[in-house]
Amino acid sequence: MEKTVTTGTKKNIWAFGTNQVVYAAIGAALYAVLTWAFNIWQIPGAGNVGIRPAIVIPMFFGIAFGPIVGFITGFVGNILADMLSGYGFWLWWDLGNGIIGLIPGLFSALIYKYNEQKSIILGEISVVLGSALGMGLASLSERWVSGADMNTVLVANFLPAFLTNIVWGLILLPLLMIAYAAIVSRSGRS
Amino acid sequence: MLVSWNYRYRNSPMDHIDPRARFIFSFALLFSATTTWNPNILAGIFLIALIWYSLGRLTWKDTRFGWLMISIMLFTMIVVNTIITGGGAGGVVPEGGQLVWPAGFDLFGRHFTFGLTVERLWFAVSQLMRILSISLVFVMIPYTMDSRAYGVTFSKLGLPDRLAYTMELSFRFIPTLARNFQVTLDAQRARGFELDAGKGSLVQKVKKVAPLIIPVTMNAIVSSEDIANAMDLRGFGQQKRTWLYELKFHWWDWALIAFSILMLLVTLLLAYRFEMRLFSVPAWWYGLFD
Repeated sequence: MEKTVTTGTKKNIWAFGTNQVVYAAIGAALYAVLTWAFNIWQIPGAGNVGIRPAIVIPMFFGIAFGPIVGFITGFVGNILADMLSGYGFWLWWDLGNGIIGLIPGLFSALIYKYNEQKSIILGEISVVLGSALGMGLASLSERWVSGADMNTVLVANFLPAFLTNIVWGLILLPLLMIAYAAIVSRSGRS
Repeated sequence: MLVSWNYRYRNSPMDHIDPRARFIFSFALLFSATTTWNPNILAGIFLIALIWYSLGRLTWKDTRFGWLMISIMLFTMIVVNTIITGGGAGGVVPEGGQLVWPAGFDLFGRHFTFGLTVERLWFAVSQLMRILSISLVFVMIPYTMDSRAYGVTFSKLGLPDRLAYTMELSFRFIPTLARNFQVTLDAQRARGFELDAGKGSLVQKVKKVAPLIIPVTMNAIVSSEDIANAMDLRGFGQQKRTWLYELKFHWWDWALIAFSILMLLVTLLLAYRFEMRLFSVPAWWYGLFD
């Protein structure tokens, strides 16, 4: 069994053993349940975009368990959330959500202690980069699907999604990292 | 908090189509619809999508939340971006064109000028056909596909077993996590926690959800170790996985796959070989505004 190393030695961020299968499944289910529960905060008028506190879940699972877990949490979690809410199946937005988890996962190789200032800054950078790339890709796909121009894609799709995602991510990710650091040290996980 | 899937068995034709064939058809239609802006091809694809949707025997009551979201998206894209501001058409419709109201129009005793062109209005119709076609096919999936079928479907479509099983497992965790969420919410409320949607600024809302999201997430992570250990003890991943829910192709599934491939090939041929890829306005449409 391959274990995710949370502190100390060098990590293999691309491992995908039993632990990672379970973390990814738990992350996706958690993202779906929280998104569904918070769906009441939909922004009216902004195409396809809702305020999602749960967006921090793929970011955090990426940081804690690596890029594959982060990607699956975002990708599968968004599919499940849309299924629960009855919104359908929108592959390009699912991929965008996957990337929001994947990018922090790439940063996880540099993070050993979750409550350190350096780790939190790296986490925050990954939130901005992940949201920019993930929502950028999903929004650009609307050019392909609906034929909108770049300005419309930017204003109607990208900015509402990107800005709300980074607000939630920048505030909630450090709190989750600190809480997780306490669990790691209390349970003696390696 | 009760989580329920939107799927229920309706004994509709869609219930008898193999999920793999359904996904192949759905993606063939997606690529066909996004290949061209030709109104005739889009009208054909829209008709196919309507027939496909009718096979699900879905009622308005079943799908209203999905259509509400699509209506918001369509309103933003078509009414606001294409018709009112014109931004949504900038990527496809050339500048200039014939104005719908060249001399402006009077409303409530005032004179208005509006730069809406006949070409932009036709683009809105084309956009509606394209996006509705895609929406008709994809919005019905959660309502007409059994959640037990997803893992095995993606596995049989070539996704690695571990990834397919991750998907399968996440379906199983949803009711448990929803219950944990409700228990945590009740526990926090007993401590004076309030989660009132619509009150306060965005930052205040962020602060409000932290006492809810953090314990739910940490509980989920702690419990996941036991599950992973139990799976390891049962030899998870040691050999190729079998699935309880079996999929079987029938002749109509093969026919659907053949039709999907044919639809995509014909669209590509018309779009690239016969130059029917670009946006064009039919002559009769201009006649309506003379």
